[in-house]
Amino acid sequence: MEDTLNDASSLAIELAPARQRRPMLEIAGLCKSFGALEVLRDVSVVVSPGEVVVVIGPSGSGKTTLLRCINLLEEYERGTIAVDGEPIGYRTDGRSGRRARMSEREIARARERIGMVFQSFNLFPHMNVLQNIVAAPVRVRRIERRQAEARARELLAMVGLSDKVAEYPIRLSGGQQQRVAIARALAMDPKIMLFDEVTSALDPELVGEVLAAMQQLAGDGMTMVVVTHEMSFARDIADRILFIDGGVIVEEGKPDQLLFAPQTERVGAFLKRYNDRYRI
Amino acid sequence: MPFDPHFIARLIPALLEGAKVTVELAALTMAICLVWGLLVALAHSTRGLLGSIAGGYIQLVRNTPLLIQLYVVYFGFSMAGFGLSGFASGLLALCAQNGGYVAEIYRGGLQSVSIRQFEAGRALGMRRRTLYTTVILPQVIARVIPPLTNQSISIIKDTSQVAAIAVMEIMKITEVWVETSANTYDVFLGAALIYLALTSIAGLVGKLAERSLAFAQ
Amino acid sequence: MKELGPLIHSFWYLLRGAGMTVLMATSAVVPATLLGVLLALLHVFGGWLLRSAILGYLFLIRGIPLLVLLTFVYYLMPLTGIDLPPFWGVVLVISLYYAAFVSEVFRAGILSLPQAQWDAARSLGMTRRLMLQIVVLPQALRLSAPPYVSLCVSLVKATSLVSIVGLWELTMAPFQIFIGAAAIYFCICYTLALYGRHLERRVLLGH
Repeated sequence: MEDTLNDASSLAIELAPARQRRPMLEIAGLCKSFGALEVLRDVSVVVSPGEVVVVIGPSGSGKTTLLRCINLLEEYERGTIAVDGEPIGYRTDGRSGRRARMSEREIARARERIGMVFQSFNLFPHMNVLQNIVAAPVRVRRIERRQAEARARELLAMVGLSDKVAEYPIRLSGGQQQRVAIARALAMDPKIMLFDEVTSALDPELVGEVLAAMQQLAGDGMTMVVVTHEMSFARDIADRILFIDGGVIVEEGKPDQLLFAPQTERVGAFLKRYNDRYRI
Repeated sequence: MPFDPHFIARLIPALLEGAKVTVELAALTMAICLVWGLLVALAHSTRGLLGSIAGGYIQLVRNTPLLIQLYVVYFGFSMAGFGLSGFASGLLALCAQNGGYVAEIYRGGLQSVSIRQFEAGRALGMRRRTLYTTVILPQVIARVIPPLTNQSISIIKDTSQVAAIAVMEIMKITEVWVETSANTYDVFLGAALIYLALTSIAGLVGKLAERSLAFAQ
Repeated sequence: MKELGPLIHSFWYLLRGAGMTVLMATSAVVPATLLGVLLALLHVFGGWLLRSAILGYLFLIRGIPLLVLLTFVYYLMPLTGIDLPPFWGVVLVISLYYAAFVSEVFRAGILSLPQAQWDAARSLGMTRRLMLQIVVLPQALRLSAPPYVSLCVSLVKATSLVSIVGLWELTMAPFQIFIGAAAIYFCICYTLALYGRHLERRVLLGH
């Protein structure tokens, strides 16, 4: 058993060295302002395939905006973003440095391979669970309906909601809705998943089931960028943690290092306040 | 011949005379309905016979056309022996119908104030009168101004139907002038412009009222 | 027994009137709705030129009484030589008039949809057309349904104006005709109003 595993992994390394080394997400020099307010200042992040990056920081620090810029739900003034080597949102002319916005069609196409889960679930209330999950695969990626439904059932089983296939969102609890939202995003077979404070709107007892689903996803090797307040979850799931404040990445590092031995004072103060109340 | 200046010179004063009647009718209706609508709304909020009668009245006037109500009032009274003038019949019918609408506006305004406002006031120990005058009423007033503005615009337009019983407001005068001259376009254009002016003024007054009586909701 | 004659005559007259009311209202509602929905979409998603044109149109409709427009068309028709039966002329004017109100109601429905629904649809890679088709419009229609039914009630009542324009002679009619007409209108409109309230309750529950 061990031999075959080793063989498989070394084979994988030999076969696709380039793909392994190419970052899944590259953000360079991102700048965004809301009017006069500078929300993101020259932010750069690189995320490798299969890596789980957690973004933490105080309210208004720009972490949600950062996430929303990745799939261009927010426009930004400067910087480049590329997913799996392909630019998204804007193309920058190498020579002149000027950038051109990609067409709506190109942007929509790019968004297909980026999955996003929102704080307020955002399920479509006029469709039941199954319809919510298959709507995009069938209508956007033109996958055959039967195939899409089979996949949907697989995903629902994975998040533990097989029995809710025909329910309408209004009949589900917050935690259940959020898990359906995760399944919906996964149904598009994304290369990377973005999570925007997905447990903040949930009652405490419902948080666990969502975090468990995310853990499983991470274990399966999905590249994830997670914005969250849940520090203990951050420690459990993150390969790397980024601390953002005032639109700048103040510090980044491995969980045990950043959370327990932060190098900057701002991070220390933030964590101390958190620790006093919750204990990581 | 359109845009005959002599014709227009004679037309404008005539239309303005009609506008006077229109404004009188609309303003009186609005003033009366503000009070009458309140009474109907209060009656509607009670349980028992009075509430049912008020409810029935509201449904009746909302679901029958103004024109029919006009005819019923005008011919009805004349049949019964107390002939009412066209203006009086028009006023009565307009108030009857719009009283129902205004009552519903008041009801909607009150309902839209969150129940938490009541709870907060009571928790602070306010008694009924204080609660209503200092907390609830200001909010209700703020909320009813936009729909009341719309209603007043609607009233101005509805006065045109009073032409059916020969009241010399804008529409009737338009009709008369169209029948007796060849300048159809000019007459209608004039009438349209005056109505647009009146309704726009009403809208502006409403906006002003909103700004001074309402506050950030 | 002698009384019965005029009464039956009145009844028959009323029945024809009711038939005309229903026919006129249903004929006008369809184009008014279709045009209204189109105008709403153009108003929300169109360029500034289109939006300005629509705003101008809405301003005119909002400020001019329907009766003025009806009478205008009634006197205009013979002059322009367009051979349109008066019935359909009225239907046309009423449709154009109510299309404006329908468009405002529907536009409000679209705009009241939470931004979050747009975000979710976009994040799944839907193009604007697909988004509108399966996420925005179905929900906007459901949200707009109750005020739309109120508009339908208004439209039905507006058909009474034809008596002024001369299509249905009411002024010479005996008094019981008015009461009868009122009763017919009331039945139609009250039923619609009840349906509207039912829809309102359903909308409140579903969202």
